[in-house]
Amino acid sequence: MKIGFIGLGRMGQGMGARLLASGHDLLVYNRTAGKTAELEKAGAKVASSIAGACKDRDLVITMVADDNALYEVAVGPGGVRQYLEKGAVHVSMGTHSAGAIQSVTAAHVEKGHAFVAAPVLGRPDAAASGQLVIVAAGPADALKKCEPAFAVMGRKTLEAASTPESAIAIKLANNFVLGCAIETMAEAFSLVRKYGVDPQVFYEVMTEGLFAAPAYKVYGKLMVDASYDKPGFTTKLGLKDIKLALAAAELVQVPLPSGSVVRDRLIGAIAHGDGDKDWAVLGKEQGRACGLD
Amino acid sequence: MMKVAFIGLGRMGRGMAHRLLGGGHDLVVYDVFRAAGDELGKAGARVADTVADACADRDVVVTMLVEDAAVLDVAMRDGGLCASLPKGAVHVAMGTYGVAAIRALGAAHAEAGQVLVAAPVLGRPDLAASGQLGIVSGGPSDAVTRVQPLLDLMGRKTFHAGVLPESATAIKLANNMVLGCAMVAMGEGFSLIRKYGVESQTFYEVMTEGLFSSVAYKGYGKTMVDQSYDNAGSPITVGLKDANLIAAAADLARVPMPMHNIYKDRLLGAVAHGDGDRDQAVLAREQARAAGLE
Repeated sequence: MKIGFIGLGRMGQGMGARLLASGHDLLVYNRTAGKTAELEKAGAKVASSIAGACKDRDLVITMVADDNALYEVAVGPGGVRQYLEKGAVHVSMGTHSAGAIQSVTAAHVEKGHAFVAAPVLGRPDAAASGQLVIVAAGPADALKKCEPAFAVMGRKTLEAASTPESAIAIKLANNFVLGCAIETMAEAFSLVRKYGVDPQVFYEVMTEGLFAAPAYKVYGKLMVDASYDKPGFTTKLGLKDIKLALAAAELVQVPLPSGSVVRDRLIGAIAHGDGDKDWAVLGKEQGRACGLD
Repeated sequence: MMKVAFIGLGRMGRGMAHRLLGGGHDLVVYDVFRAAGDELGKAGARVADTVADACADRDVVVTMLVEDAAVLDVAMRDGGLCASLPKGAVHVAMGTYGVAAIRALGAAHAEAGQVLVAAPVLGRPDLAASGQLGIVSGGPSDAVTRVQPLLDLMGRKTFHAGVLPESATAIKLANNMVLGCAMVAMGEGFSLIRKYGVESQTFYEVMTEGLFSSVAYKGYGKTMVDQSYDNAGSPITVGLKDANLIAAAADLARVPMPMHNIYKDRLLGAVAHGDGDRDQAVLAREQARAAGLE
């Protein structure tokens, strides 16, 4: 397929490399020049503008960091909306707000474009090895066109519902459940510590029992070791995602009391100077709240 | 071989007592409902008529009673455990109790020259019957060591919490709290995606094939997807009882637990809406109500 790829951060680099390695015709663009060098070496063509990245493309994938970047790249002057070719599909694979996805959808529909939201679950290593889980939503024929690209970037693609923002809802809900699990563990660890229990013992009870899952094993271990300095995902990014979940919930009138607690604890952690630590640092923030740390 | 008494022959207790008998111990059993001991009697246990009768000359008494009031009553009343057990005997309390009750129980036994080991269990009746429970032990090391052969018959693994009985209680309660909050979070997650038109099953797969591939999410998440709340493995009212114990333990130790408070309030709401006897997974419906979905 002829694919344009916009946004070459850590995730985008890996995803682009997967597309290239499986023989797709890849044309890349990044606002900050220099990030295209590695993919260029591997055989990608480099566009000097979004217009260039859309030219003669079947698919244009955007993988940008936040809503502002998406608006700029997708619907701003000189954006994808202006240059997407007839019959082509714009696929947004970043994690954005439900509201932004609704706006971008409306803007594309106005021009008769096909737009798909396909946020991904997984970290940069999963992107590089094609092991992402992709949650996709959009018009059925557009999704069909995306299939060959999704197949090489992810190990599995799930279809949400008919509207692009439904895919966002799943992605945000999943991160939300993770945030809740982290704060819950933080509270549980602080309780057992106050009763003189070695956190490692409680960790074993959890992870050898009802909670033998990556969320508890990975984040529980970080709390047991109080090892927050090598962030896989920072407190600030955690706050961004929880706020997106709360905003998506407000948009459709869903109270999320647990989400509110997680948001407040994350804000407290940032206030205590832990914004750039791994968001497992909620273990320490909860420790502070009960006078332990 | 130890001389063991087992008091409290509910669904959990019967399975556990059978394991002790199968391990070749000299077992006396007692339950307020005498018929609960019939099967064990046939299998070779002596069925006692009173708590005092059950406790005479025993090395160890194991109790598996439902709540604080029951275990405190059995221990402290006239003819109860404290009055009837020999000095030096060990009481292994295996139900889920509050910290305050465990402290009171420990003090009463100490005064009578006996030792308390708290050993709450993780698992349902099928695991009790097969000796596959998780057990969390708390108590003086020598007493825990003495009863370890019994714990090994009833469980697949014992996690030693600490030398205070209440340390085991804290772990058991914290584990229940983590489960309750996971259910609340799932409920919130399901109500969010439903409002966006997503099938619950799809979100279930995202969770359980990813970060949340464990029994808690697979089991309770499935119940939420199917909305099959009427087969209560662990009903709301039992969850609320434990949630109150957790809040009390947190209060005693001065630990604010905002997530736990949400769980407790959702349990109360579920009771208020008439779902008290339903499975705890009905918290998803309670959340859906809050979002105007049901």
